[in-house]
Amino acid sequence: MDLQGQDGLLTTWREGWRARGVAGWLVAALLTGFYVDLYFTDHLEPAARALGLPSKWMLYGAIYSVAMVGGAIYYLRAHGNGRYHRVRVGVNVAVQIALAFLLPLVMPWFGGEEFYFSYLWPLDWYKLHPATLASLPVHLALYSLLGSLIAAPLLAWRFGKRWYCSWVCGCGGLANTFGDPWRHLTSKRAAAWRFERVAVHTVMVLAILSTALLALDHVVGERHETLRLVVASAEPWSIKRLYGLVVGAVLAGVVGVGVYPLFGPRVWCRNFCPMAAVLGLAQKLGRFRIRVKPDMCISCGNCSTYCEMGIDVRAYAQRNESFTRAACVGCGMCAHVCPRGVLRLENAPPDERVRLPLAR
Amino acid sequence: MRVVIVGNGVAGIEAALALRAREPGATITIVSEESDHFFSRTALMWIHSGQLRHEETEPYERDLYARERFERVRARAVGLDPEAHTVRLAGGLAPLPYDRLLVACGSRPRPTPWPGAELRGVGHFVTHQDLAWLEREVWGGPSRGGSPPRPDAHLAATDERSPYRPRPDGHAARGGPPRHPVVIGGGLVGIEAVEVLLAAKLTPRFLVREEWFWPLALDRAEADWITGRLRAHGVLVHLGEHVEALEGEGTLARVRTDRASYDADVCVVAIGVVPNTDWIGDALARDAGGGVLVGPGLETSAEDVFAAGDCASVRWFHGARMPEPLWYTARAQGRVAGRRLAGDRADYARGVFYNSSKLADVEHTTVGLVSMNVEGERNWRFEERGAVRSTLRVVLAGERVVGMNALGRRWDHAVWIRWIEERRSLAYVLSHLAEASFDTELVPPLVVPRDAREAPPEGPAPSVIDAPLPAPEA
Repeated sequence: MDLQGQDGLLTTWREGWRARGVAGWLVAALLTGFYVDLYFTDHLEPAARALGLPSKWMLYGAIYSVAMVGGAIYYLRAHGNGRYHRVRVGVNVAVQIALAFLLPLVMPWFGGEEFYFSYLWPLDWYKLHPATLASLPVHLALYSLLGSLIAAPLLAWRFGKRWYCSWVCGCGGLANTFGDPWRHLTSKRAAAWRFERVAVHTVMVLAILSTALLALDHVVGERHETLRLVVASAEPWSIKRLYGLVVGAVLAGVVGVGVYPLFGPRVWCRNFCPMAAVLGLAQKLGRFRIRVKPDMCISCGNCSTYCEMGIDVRAYAQRNESFTRAACVGCGMCAHVCPRGVLRLENAPPDERVRLPLAR
Repeated sequence: MRVVIVGNGVAGIEAALALRAREPGATITIVSEESDHFFSRTALMWIHSGQLRHEETEPYERDLYARERFERVRARAVGLDPEAHTVRLAGGLAPLPYDRLLVACGSRPRPTPWPGAELRGVGHFVTHQDLAWLEREVWGGPSRGGSPPRPDAHLAATDERSPYRPRPDGHAARGGPPRHPVVIGGGLVGIEAVEVLLAAKLTPRFLVREEWFWPLALDRAEADWITGRLRAHGVLVHLGEHVEALEGEGTLARVRTDRASYDADVCVVAIGVVPNTDWIGDALARDAGGGVLVGPGLETSAEDVFAAGDCASVRWFHGARMPEPLWYTARAQGRVAGRRLAGDRADYARGVFYNSSKLADVEHTTVGLVSMNVEGERNWRFEERGAVRSTLRVVLAGERVVGMNALGRRWDHAVWIRWIEERRSLAYVLSHLAEASFDTELVPPLVVPRDAREAPPEGPAPSVIDAPLPAPEA
């Protein structure tokens, strides 16, 4: 039987590992250590070979999938009475296992590419590198181009960025499953929101600029040595290497997952993911919104507390304002924990869009 | 201008904010015994379980008082002198002079009427201090979310009649959580107390005086669903059972009812709330229940004194005068009161009644005249048991829809209010239900089959109101 709201009370702050206690810090240290080891050493290569996997990255994919399945079981035990959660998390886990693990694993067996359909530019920053595109069969190159530049923003305009960030994306998937026990730790302070807006749009601009420079290098790099050296060389300070290191390894991996138990599971998605920034802009212009029932909010604070993106949902709910925030990934938790059914995620009918008070 | 507001709850704060917006220069002093910060009282249960921290239940950031220049006094108001325009405070503090005064001191738990109220292990679940007591009884103390700041700041300036005094607990003596927790009172606070005990993996005994749970809002079939859910969670629900005494030697040991005697080590008495107005004495005219009588502009019997929120006795649509103990009405009254304090003309206008609540894990929405003993009342009922379980009851007076009561699904009360104001028929409402649906995405919509839609409404629903209410015009 479906119940739309929360079933039973959570005991979050009575569980030390979820409340920034010693166990929380220990888990954070372990996760950070794992990511440092993964990105900066080859310790996992022998283990991968022993398991018959082609590389440590495939082993990482396997561990990732297991962590997501375990986290999904945890999540659905707490919130699985809501149909939206069951469908969303089910799809997200299935996409991870099928498109981000099994398919890349087996495609090379049949002479195909190790291609990740569920990752698009600019999250998968390499996907639109000219060198990458040139190396792909035409249909996959077209998929990368059209998927990244047209389909993803268009879907975000129509359904909100949730279609990607909490239904498809692996980073979001891990955050919503393995990272779910810590979702209440995302900061709701105004200062955190200011940092988010500056940081995430900075990374977005850097992702676009660097990709454009790489394209420029592809066209004229042969004749411009300095350009090649700065943009695409193997020097550790080249733009290509720096972006990969800082954004790809440090921010997405080490920081993004390592601090789950301290600052919540969406540190990467909220503050640094360039894809989230692009889709967030499409969302602001699009149809997705959280509708608020008038004068029913009791200001209890559950919605804001359990927002993994740090949105102070209550501030809108108690002012009777339906709203669209660029950060919202549409996980549906605010509506789920609301004890008065005040909130509803929806894709507004086109004729109602103009009447929306678009929040700042 | 010196304005004093007694009460730091939703009515008091909303009034203070409305006043500040109008009068940047006014001196605004907020008197509160219970807490430094305005918080959402409805959220006590989540603090108890550990789902929320205190700070998260506060609707505004803690710098609100500094930012808005609200002065705070943590003390108990013990008297009011309308002639001298002063509020007397406990603890030997100097009386507070005012030019205008707002009484927004809310409710307090209805006192325990049986012998044994003073036993260790007996308490309520309404105030921060009640919460701290029940946290100690059940968990041994607060969660890692901590306590509110300065929880005892008022103790130097209070008296023995205060509902905000700390209560001793029996956790240490017992060496652990209660083995036989009991909750008395079949209303919203009672069911919240049951839920917090369940969250701590205890098995509460739930003693309800009425024949079914919450007859003020539910009919028997609706209530049976709720009590069935509670029983499925292991709650020992007793209906129609009257408590006679709480027994023990200094510490609670048993609860005796008209049917049996039960072992008990912790007992939450949740038999309603009463206006927290005994400190006012005869200074203001009050109703029989203690509520401060107010006019349409929330003015009291004394000049320059207004009242808002749970402690104010307002005139209801059916003519009776009593408090409206709801969050959103307190907020609306507070806003009106703020304008009155600023010297503006403003009236509190109450529209169609509505409310929502959560009963265990089942959501409840009610709009209009439900279980109100309306003349010529008929009730159309539908129960859905498929992928979704829900009930819908539409109340008619003659052919006109005057109310609805729903469990399980989410509804937009604003649409129902519009239908009631537009005097819609049952047939109209049933063929437009989708417009009022507020269900979560992906939940299959409510489908009422034709035969159910055409089923004749039944007679009036049982009501706790004796005198029939005149039917609204058709």
